[in-house]
Amino acid sequence: MKERVWIKDEGIERGAEKLTPEKIEKTINAVLGNEAGARLKAYVETCAHCGLCSEACHFYLSRDRDPRFSPVGKVKQTIWEMVDKKGKVSVEFMKQATQIAQTECNLCRRCVQYCPFGIDIGYMMSLVRRIVHKLELTPLYIQDTAHSHSATMNQMWVKDDEWIDALHWQEDELREELPSARIPLEKEGAEIMYSVIGPEPKFRTQLIYQAAAIMNVAGMDWTMPATPGWDNSDMAMFTGDSEMMGRLKRLHFETAARLRVKKIVMGECGHAFRSVYDTGNRVLGWRMSPVRVVHALEFYWDLLNEGRIKVAKQIEEPVTFHDPCNVVRGRGLHEKAREVVRAFCPNLVEMTPNREHNICCAAGGGVINCGPPFKNSRVESNSVKAEQLKATGVKLCIAPCHNCHGGLEDIIHKYKLDMQLKFLGEIIYDCMEKPDAV
Amino acid sequence: MMRHKLHRYTIYCSVVLCITLCSIPAFSQEDTVLKVEAFGTLERPISAFDHDTHNEKAEIQDCAVCHHVYKDGKLVEGESSEDQACSECHTLKAQGSQPGLRMAYHRQCKECHVEKKKGPVACGECHVKK
Amino acid sequence: MQDIYLLVSGPLAWAAWTIFALGSVWKIWSTLNVARQKDQVLLNYVSLKYGLRSIINWSIPFNTVNMRLHPVFTGVAFFFHIAFFALLVFVSAHQIMIEEGFGIGWITIPDAVADIIAFAVIGACIFFGVRRVVRPEVKYVTDWTDFALLALVASPFVTGVLAYHQLGDYMTMVILHMLCAELLLVAIPFTRLSHMLLAPLTRGYIGSEFGMVRHVKDW
Repeated sequence: MKERVWIKDEGIERGAEKLTPEKIEKTINAVLGNEAGARLKAYVETCAHCGLCSEACHFYLSRDRDPRFSPVGKVKQTIWEMVDKKGKVSVEFMKQATQIAQTECNLCRRCVQYCPFGIDIGYMMSLVRRIVHKLELTPLYIQDTAHSHSATMNQMWVKDDEWIDALHWQEDELREELPSARIPLEKEGAEIMYSVIGPEPKFRTQLIYQAAAIMNVAGMDWTMPATPGWDNSDMAMFTGDSEMMGRLKRLHFETAARLRVKKIVMGECGHAFRSVYDTGNRVLGWRMSPVRVVHALEFYWDLLNEGRIKVAKQIEEPVTFHDPCNVVRGRGLHEKAREVVRAFCPNLVEMTPNREHNICCAAGGGVINCGPPFKNSRVESNSVKAEQLKATGVKLCIAPCHNCHGGLEDIIHKYKLDMQLKFLGEIIYDCMEKPDAV
Repeated sequence: MMRHKLHRYTIYCSVVLCITLCSIPAFSQEDTVLKVEAFGTLERPISAFDHDTHNEKAEIQDCAVCHHVYKDGKLVEGESSEDQACSECHTLKAQGSQPGLRMAYHRQCKECHVEKKKGPVACGECHVKK
Repeated sequence: MQDIYLLVSGPLAWAAWTIFALGSVWKIWSTLNVARQKDQVLLNYVSLKYGLRSIINWSIPFNTVNMRLHPVFTGVAFFFHIAFFALLVFVSAHQIMIEEGFGIGWITIPDAVADIIAFAVIGACIFFGVRRVVRPEVKYVTDWTDFALLALVASPFVTGVLAYHQLGDYMTMVILHMLCAELLLVAIPFTRLSHMLLAPLTRGYIGSEFGMVRHVKDW
C-alpha cells in the first residue's frame, strides 16, 4: 500500500498542541455516551465487515481502490477504534481521524444506498466531526467559516450593511435590463422569502441578479430579509457544531416567521438545503422545517409548469446534468430537475451512473471549505468523477449546487476537461422570455 | 491433449463409481434388518435389527413388550400382536393418537433405550451406512 | 455416550433455544430502549410503509444497484441465508426430532438434496472466508473475530455432513453437531451475528428516512 499522507493544517496542529489523552478520553466518552445512542450501537453491532460499501465511494474508487478510503475503512480508522479503546486514543490518532472524517468523506450518503443493512456511515463520520469539534481540532479554513457564522450569522463575514448594499447594487443593475424590477426587502406578508448562501453576496452576486430577474419575470410575490438570518448556509452542521447550527437555523426560520411568508425558496445550494430541510429543523425540535422549504430546482419546475416562465430559446448543444447529493439523495429532485433542464436544453446527455446513484463532486460535506491544504488531495480523490464527465463528451455541465460547482471546477481544471459549468438558474435567465426587457 | 486426458479420467471415474454402487447390495444383510415394504423407497440406510440377538441381550421374553395391542387408545394387557405386521395398524400417517409408522418405530425403540439407558438413540446408530 | 447425547439433545438444546429467544428479545428491546431514551427524535422518522418498502426491495435478489455490482457475492449470500434456514427447518432428521418431541410435523427436503445443499453452504462459508483474505477492501476491515464467527456458522454444517455420512466416530460427530448448533444459537444475540435481529431495524429506519423525508430510493 502507498504511504498514507497526513496533511498539515494549522487548525488541527494548534488544536492538537492543547490536547491531553485524558481530555480526548473524556470528550469521546461524553459524545459517545451522551449524544450517540441506538444508531451507533446498532451500526457497530450490525456491521458484518463485508466491505460492500466500498464501491459506493469516489475516494475509494479514485485512489486505486485503496481500502483505507472505503467507507467502512474510514469507520475502522475512526469510530471503531474509539469505541473499542473506550476513548483511550492518542493525539496523533485524533489528528488523523480529523483528516479522515473532515476531509475524506463528503457525507454524500451514497454508501448508505450500498450497505445491505442500510448503515448510515455519514452519521458515524458526523459523530467523529462532533468529537473533533469538541476537541477543537477542526481544520482552520472551515472553522473560520464557522466563526463567521457565530459572529455575523452568515458564512462569509458579510456585514449587515454590506448585505443590503449588495442587494441594492444588484437591483440597480437589474433595472437597466428590466426597468420595473425590484428586489423587495423586508416585505411582510410576501408569499416567498428568498434566501441565499453567504458566498452569493460576496463572490457570486450575478446569481442574485439572475434569481431576481426570474422572480420579477414570473411575477412572484417575494422578499428578502434586510437583517441577519438571510443566509441559509451552515458550515457549523459540517463541523459538528450542533449548537451553532441550532442558532443559525433558528434565526433563519424566525426571520421567515417575522416576514410572515408562506415558504422559503432557496438558491441553488445543496448543503444549505440539507441544513434547512433535514438537519437544522431536527436540532430545533421540529420534525420537518417549520416553514415550507422549496429548493430552486423545485421552484423552477413549479414556475415552468404554472406557465409563469416561458422558454424563449433553447440551447441546442448537448449538455449534461450533475445530480447534487443533498437535493437528489437528500430530496429526490432529480426528475423535476431533468424536466426543467430538458425544457431549455433538449439535448441532455446522462452521466453514468446518474440520479440518486450519481457520483459526488468531492467538494460537499464541508470538504472544499477545509481550504487549500486539502485541495490537491480532494481533487486527486475524484478522478472517477472526471472520467464520468469526460465520457459524456459534452462541453457544458449543469450543476445546481455551489459546492458541486467548486468541486467540479477543480476537477475540470486538474484533469484538463474541456467543459463549462453552469447553474440551472443561469440557463433559465439566459433562455426565458423577458417581455419587459430593454 | 487436455481434453483427451479429461475424457479418460471421466471414464475411469465412472467405472469406479459403477463398481462401488453395484457392490452395495452385496454387503446388505437382509435377514438382520427391519425391512418394511410400506415405506417404499427409503431415505436413510435400512435399520440394522437382529430380532433374536436383541431379545437375548435385552432379556425380553414377553412378545407383548414390543408387539403391543391398543384399543381405543388404551394398552390392552395380556394381548400381543406378533402375528401382525406393524404397518397393519400403523399407517404411514398418524391416526388420532396412534402414531404413524415411522414415528411408531422410532418411539418403540428409542423410548425403551432411553428408559433402560442402553441401546442406540441417535439417527445414525440404527441407520448405519454400509 | 447415550447420556451425553441425551443431555445435548435435551436440556442443553432447551437451554440454547431459551438463551437465544430471551437474548434476542433483550437485544431488540435494549436497542429500542436506547432509541427511546437517547434518540427519541429518530422515532418520529420511522415509517412502516417506507421501512417495509426498503426491507422488501433489499430482500429481492439482484434488485439493488450494489447487488448487481457484485453478482457472485449476491448469489452466494442469498443462497447461504436461504439455505441456512431451509436446512434448519426442513432437514428430515430435525423434523423427526421435532415431531417426536412436540407432535407436529411438516414437509421435509429429501436427504440427498439436503446433503448437496449442506455441502454448498460449506462452500459458501469457504467463499466468504477466502473473500476476506483476497479482497483488499474486505481484508482491511477483517479481524480474527470475523473468521471465528464464520467458523462458528460453518461448524454445524461441517459436523452435520460428517455425521450424516457417518465419517469419524458417529456419536462424537452427532453430539458435536448439536453442540456447535447450540453454541451458534447462543452466540446470535451477543455477537455481530445479531445482524439477524438488528438488520430489519437499521434497514427499516434508513428506508423511512430515504422514503419519507428524502423522497428517494435507498437501493
